[in-house]
Amino acid sequence: MIKDTFAMALEAMKSYKIRTFLTLIGVIIGVASVIMVTTAGDSVSSFIAEQWNVFNPTGMVIGTGTGGATPQLSVRSVVFTTNDVEKIQNLPNIKTVAPLGIVPLNKILKRDGLLKWESRPGEAMYASTPQLLEILNMGLEEGTMFEEGKNEVVITKNIAEVFGKDKPLHIGDTIYLRRVDGKTLDAKIVGILKESSTTSMFNALATPGIICPTKPYYSTYFGSNVGSILKRVVAYTILLAEATDTNHVQDAQDEILNYLDNGGSDASSYKDQNSDFVVITQQYILVRIEQVLSVIRTYITAIALISLLIGAIGIANIMFATVTERTREIGTMMAVGAKRRDILQLFLYQSTIIGLLGGLIGCILGASGSWFVVDLLNTNIQTLGGALSTGSIQLTYAPEWFLIASIVGILIGIAAGVLPARKAAKMDPVVALRYE
Amino acid sequence: MSEYVIDINSLTKTYKTGKTDFKALNNVNLKIRKSDFVAIMGPSGSGKSTLMNIIGCLDRPTSGTVTIDGENISTVGDNQLAEIRGRKIGFIFQKFNLIPTMSALKNIALPMVFLGGTKADRNQRSSELLAKVGLTNWATHLPSELSGGQQQRIAIARALSNNPAIILADEPTGNLDTKTGEQIMEILVALNKEGKTILLVTHAIALKRFANRVINMLDGEISEES
Repeated sequence: MIKDTFAMALEAMKSYKIRTFLTLIGVIIGVASVIMVTTAGDSVSSFIAEQWNVFNPTGMVIGTGTGGATPQLSVRSVVFTTNDVEKIQNLPNIKTVAPLGIVPLNKILKRDGLLKWESRPGEAMYASTPQLLEILNMGLEEGTMFEEGKNEVVITKNIAEVFGKDKPLHIGDTIYLRRVDGKTLDAKIVGILKESSTTSMFNALATPGIICPTKPYYSTYFGSNVGSILKRVVAYTILLAEATDTNHVQDAQDEILNYLDNGGSDASSYKDQNSDFVVITQQYILVRIEQVLSVIRTYITAIALISLLIGAIGIANIMFATVTERTREIGTMMAVGAKRRDILQLFLYQSTIIGLLGGLIGCILGASGSWFVVDLLNTNIQTLGGALSTGSIQLTYAPEWFLIASIVGILIGIAAGVLPARKAAKMDPVVALRYE
Repeated sequence: MSEYVIDINSLTKTYKTGKTDFKALNNVNLKIRKSDFVAIMGPSGSGKSTLMNIIGCLDRPTSGTVTIDGENISTVGDNQLAEIRGRKIGFIFQKFNLIPTMSALKNIALPMVFLGGTKADRNQRSSELLAKVGLTNWATHLPSELSGGQQQRIAIARALSNNPAIILADEPTGNLDTKTGEQIMEILVALNKEGKTILLVTHAIALKRFANRVINMLDGEISEES
């Protein structure tokens, strides 16, 4: 009996091909757009997560700014001393810590022959310790890391080609760095950095072309009244640190903040009273990015769901029209023995089939559509250039959304069909038979 | 079981039209024997459609009792009424009322679908009935591909599919030319000879001659011609 009603529903739909097709399109577009939005969203999310995660997941930046639930780093004042670096290094959950100082350069010079000099406008250079590479998860393409206190630097491939692609700098070459204070220091190139395909918080700060040891290149001093003697102290705006493992990132963060605030740190006496110590972990950054993405995704998904709703209204609309148009048939069926339940089923099956079919086709279309969208995004990323240009978004399907979309399709079919089907089932056979 | 296939006692049907009640049937008593061929005649508004709807189990009496082939329909629920209708009554309509999206064979099988049973049984019975009305070659055709007379023959086959006790024919020749109409009436006469009770509702005085009983209706009351 149920099978027969189902077959009759299918037959009726076959007889109204164009009508069925148009109704289907409404559902298909709705389901496909939900799938596309969620799939594209997930793919972009995991792309960004992946881009960030290759950078040390235990990493963190220590600085000053606004604390609280949503800490903000403001690179303003130099507060952390070498003493602070040592103390933080000795905290139990800290694996490594490295200071990060910025050395602004006026010029990069190279001796070209005996008397000729070639010069290029300089950029900022980062002064740190050899541990920096480990914290940033960066590696050397060739050569070695500089030694603290020696006139040695490591450079990126870009800097190696700063004097022209045909005249690249090699390991062992000496360049001359003119700081903004006018002092020129010679530097032997000892290593060339591996090109990184990922984005780190370090990259986010700026692209480091040259990394040098703090001694002898970094010289941000400030006067400090210790007793009555004016001392000159080396200090940094930012420290980079690494927790012992991913499970102790939070502990490490707490220890650092506790030391800085209450551990008698030098920084606490130099820091501006209005600002707080801030530790931003890589994990926190990831969470924040995910939050922003999820807001955007929710918004677009909501729009997609509206189109699904419109699809449902489309089904209801067509079903009402069909029921009205087939009034006399309904009367006839009742006259030959159809119960109200049979009539209800007949129309509910139709709308459910449309919902299910629309859901399935929508899934397929949505899946191929997301492939297209991700492909388009990847092309755009390549044209965009910059730090992201080396990566590409991998299509990540969210299987639960396929299930959700199909179930929603059926539910929409039933929901949209209930009222028209009830209207049909409630008809008075006498009136329905007279209907012209 | 009573000797009457239709037994109507003091049947009244009242419609509410606005504030006033309209009495479509007023104290109707009617007993019809198995294998009667009854013509119900009367002008529009006389109540003959209402009487037919009640005998056809499409409507319920306001008061009085109506027994169709042993079943008292005055008190049954919607589902049971539908069931009785499917089993005991075969409808033939003026406008044929075939389902336009179904083939001739499927139209004939439709009443059996609602009563259940296997598809094989249904197909066999439908084919037999199709042969009985002489349209075996038209099994897969849609109603729109058939002539009026052919459509009405399909409708007759459909009316027979559950082997009902009563055939209710409402102006069965109204949409047909005289010659085709005669052929349809001859089929009905043949069915009556096979033992089916036929109720023919019509305006056409010419059809009176096929019936063995003629009932005239006027203003909700009946009078029988002898």
